Amino acid sequence: MKRILLACSAGMSTSLLVTKMQEYVKSIGEEAEIWAVGQDQAKKEMENADVVLIGPQMSFLKGELQKEAQKYGIQVDVIDMVAYGMADGKKVYEQALKLMEEK
Amino acid sequence: MEKVDIHQLTNEQIAFHIILHSGNARSKIVQAIREYRSGQIEESERLIEEAEQELGVAHDVHFQLIQKEASGKPTTITLLLMHAEDHVMSTLAMKEIVKEMLALLKERNI
Repeated sequence: MKRILLACSAGMSTSLLVTKMQEYVKSIGEEAEIWAVGQDQAKKEMENADVVLIGPQMSFLKGELQKEAQKYGIQVDVIDMVAYGMADGKKVYEQALKLMEEK
Repeated sequence: MEKVDIHQLTNEQIAFHIILHSGNARSKIVQAIREYRSGQIEESERLIEEAEQELGVAHDVHFQLIQKEASGKPTTITLLLMHAEDHVMSTLAMKEIVKEMLALLKERNI
């Protein structure tokens, strides 16, 4: 099963995105484990994930997280701005899939 | 920077737009300090300017909500909207402090 970790400063906005993404995943008959954490938890949780997407408010941590993610051979990226602004679960899920293919 | 029209958005999307733009600003403010530390003073100043533009967009969305309320159409308050408002206000405060701090360091040639 695909495992997607979202992280933002408090894990609040991304929790809502998780719900939107899960609704989309269900609607297309796929299955994925998607969860959100606050920025301090991101490093600890990433070993359980296949990809990590972070909120715009912590994009300055991307480099640091990427370094950590290399240990697990996974990708870290900032959530696409348009997708984030519109709270678009489909677009964020598709972004996650694309990143997983790149690893 | 593009202006966001709240009439095209749901309440949830309005909150997400506020978090997006103040979040971009927050990241740029932290990056500005890091650039300053590595001696890239012009880059640091450019990032603060960009942060101010991002904050301008977030503040404008917030202001449209205030205007809507003043015209008799209050917005339903959700925890998400409160969280978004908190983002804007804390990032505004952060920007003021960092801007003063960088100016002080520059004056003292640090």
